[in-house]
Amino acid sequence: MSCWSLLDRCCEKCSCTLNNPCSNFIDCRITGPLCHDDEQCRELRTRRFEELRYGETGSKIRVPIASCTLATGSEAVYNAIREAVGKMRLKVTVTITGCHGLDFIDPWVEFTAKDMPTAIYGNVKPGDVPKLIEDYFIKRDVSKAFVLRDRKGTAAGEDKVPLLEELDFWRKQYKWVSRNCGFVNPESLEEYIANGGYKGLSRALKEGPERVIDEILRSGLRGRGGAGFPTGIKWRIARQQSATPKYVVANADEGDPGAFMNRLLAESDPFRIVEGLTIAGYTVGASQGYIFVRAEKPLMARRFQIAVEEARRHGLLGKNILNSGFDFDIEVILSAGAFVCGEETAMLAAIEGKRAWPRQRPPYPAERGLWNKPTVINNVETLAHAATIMAEGANKFTEVGTEKTKGTKMFCVTGSVQRVGAYEVPVGTSIRCLVEELAGGAMGNCKIKAVQIGGPSGGCIPANLLDLPIDYETLQSAGAIMGSGGIVVISDENCMVDVAKFFLTFTSAESCGKCVPCRVGLRVMWNILNKITNGEGSEEDIDTLRQLAETVRTSSLCALGGTAPNPVLSTLRYFMDEYKAHIKDRVCPAYVCSALIKYRINEESCIACRQCALNCPVNAIFRVEESGKYRIDEKACISCGVCFTVCPVKAISKVSASG
Amino acid sequence: MKVKIDGKEVEVEPGTTLLSAAEKVGIEIPRLCVIPGLYEGSSCRVCLVKTPAGRLFPACNYRVYRDEEFVSNSLDLWEMRRVNFELILKFHRIECWQCYRKGQCSLATLSKELMVEGIPVCSECPLSPSECLLQKGILCLGMITQSGCRAECLFSGGECWGCRGPISRRDLIERAFEHYIELGYDVKAVISKAEIFWNSLSELKIVKEAADRVVDRE
Repeated sequence: MSCWSLLDRCCEKCSCTLNNPCSNFIDCRITGPLCHDDEQCRELRTRRFEELRYGETGSKIRVPIASCTLATGSEAVYNAIREAVGKMRLKVTVTITGCHGLDFIDPWVEFTAKDMPTAIYGNVKPGDVPKLIEDYFIKRDVSKAFVLRDRKGTAAGEDKVPLLEELDFWRKQYKWVSRNCGFVNPESLEEYIANGGYKGLSRALKEGPERVIDEILRSGLRGRGGAGFPTGIKWRIARQQSATPKYVVANADEGDPGAFMNRLLAESDPFRIVEGLTIAGYTVGASQGYIFVRAEKPLMARRFQIAVEEARRHGLLGKNILNSGFDFDIEVILSAGAFVCGEETAMLAAIEGKRAWPRQRPPYPAERGLWNKPTVINNVETLAHAATIMAEGANKFTEVGTEKTKGTKMFCVTGSVQRVGAYEVPVGTSIRCLVEELAGGAMGNCKIKAVQIGGPSGGCIPANLLDLPIDYETLQSAGAIMGSGGIVVISDENCMVDVAKFFLTFTSAESCGKCVPCRVGLRVMWNILNKITNGEGSEEDIDTLRQLAETVRTSSLCALGGTAPNPVLSTLRYFMDEYKAHIKDRVCPAYVCSALIKYRINEESCIACRQCALNCPVNAIFRVEESGKYRIDEKACISCGVCFTVCPVKAISKVSASG
Repeated sequence: MKVKIDGKEVEVEPGTTLLSAAEKVGIEIPRLCVIPGLYEGSSCRVCLVKTPAGRLFPACNYRVYRDEEFVSNSLDLWEMRRVNFELILKFHRIECWQCYRKGQCSLATLSKELMVEGIPVCSECPLSPSECLLQKGILCLGMITQSGCRAECLFSGGECWGCRGPISRRDLIERAFEHYIELGYDVKAVISKAEIFWNSLSELKIVKEAADRVVDRE
């Protein structure tokens, strides 16, 4: 057992220190000593790689500690594993890792050993832990595992468990930026470097800024934050500005409900983003970078903070990075958590300490941004892409994707699907592939009615258009946006008017209030939708709604107002029949809008358990003396739906209030 | 720098706003929130102009740095300005009878220019609040009547008879009735005077409902 880490000097001959950095630091750590040749130094590295993979004792347990797994109790699992390993006197290393995006098996754990296949166990409860450890490390039985990463033929029950690469939801993904998610310890710089990290920065520093821009332009990378502006061009514009100092900002203010890929990436592989930001800073000639993190995601902010401190401690941030003469530092800034802070000019105002109001562009931030100086703002996923492109080369990036948009994009599929999670797929994959093959299709007996792409300001795409490829242009023409990449699957149990109202509730509450169309227009649109869902709508309301939505979309100041009417416009476009049903027939076809439905108890299936009557908030359910069953007093009923959810035999059905 | 606005060319210094460039050639772009040098946040979105390609920019803070062409006068722009202006009025307390500006404000001017209804006759009334006919016991319908007549009757010494129909905002009508009651007028008298011109209008129902609500509340 050794305590030597890859970041330490291997022997006295190594001259690399913080004050005297070596330009070959990264390559030297991976491919063995470069300035001198020593059998022992080389062996030291090989042994350390092995240790990182299988632990210092030859066996290792990885427990994911990320917000998504913490929510399902992975901390208790982690503690249970530590306790069990201690009690059993096993020589097993227990480490933390990030999440690989398969949220339907949370909390999962990964067991690995040199002579055993690596096994992933899904939906682990703290109580199962001793049994699982005993099975794997003592009985050498993997039959209870969810998947295996590899087969070695040394454990019992190996054939019964599928391999991860064979499963659709893994095979159809293209792991590019999320390659390290769920594999490495997100708090360890050493593991990141051992897995190919900082190769991109070291290459960029050797080749010079112009070559970096050429490489990024050649890769055709477009901003992954939603607008899809070519990253190379943005960097070039900022580089050409004569004003100094310049700034680079990583936008980690992910606020869309249902989107969590930035959080997942930052919590599982924060160094990649720090590296990407450093490359961006070097390319445009900035000496200060900011990472703007949402305060509601404290773990993400902490991981960034740790990553920045670690990088600074090992000379990858600070003065004279890798002996290139380039000085750069990063500050992590917590946002107060308004949705509008994700808009770039509002974010700049927030960093400057002002109220987070967007301002009119032009001038664009690349010309005049933070403190009126040239500023490059990139989404964290874009920066991670840039770092990976610099490490792996643009050619490999352009292998996948479409004609206009190359590479991959991470998507979060949530809503009524079987396998909720974050998936990274090539741009141009069809929505159907993402929703049905990767995420497993609709939950239970439901059917997919629509797919909401792009967060609260995206549009609803109906089920018959699911074969559309996902790229910026196609989605825009279909009335949605790529946005940050949140996909909410809406099943036939949802009412589309209600869905549109739900998203407007969010955006109208998050409107900053600076410009009129967004502040008042969204509120008025919400009022109209509310009227329609209450069954008080009229024919003219639809025209008013459409005209208002068009005006808000075109004349708003920033992208929040410019995209907020999308849910309304797209539902008006594809689900007009539902609006008509609400207005003309006063019927909610999906039985969702409470003003348009009433509840009825089917006396044949009622078992007279009295649950509904006990839970009714207005005492509208009474017992019928003759049959002993229950009945709803329709005059007193407020259509709250409590009885519907508590009935154990599903004897309560929804019917239209009008007929 | 040469800027072309609605086909008229003008030579300006780089960094000039479109608004002042347009003024030089005598093009009046409607505006509301801008106070040059103090606030140029482009909040009201009334001064929007567009490029020939259709991109919208607020004229108040778009600064010209190269030769460009703009359109400030087209149907869709006026429609957009009108909708945005209506949205501003939607939640504004248009109670000109108690406002010291008494209609001498940009909202009232712009509402005429954009032909947006909803501002009462009081905004055009020549009498100051202290000389208001209602104070003198003369029942005037100015508070609940749509403006646009330049208050002819009040200029010639009479009171408002409501010939242009009621204003559309229910909450404003309610407030006006509260004011009538405060001054000691009978709601029934107000309604019967309104019925002279409004008897055939469907809006009369809304006015009556508003009056009922106010009476109930009192």
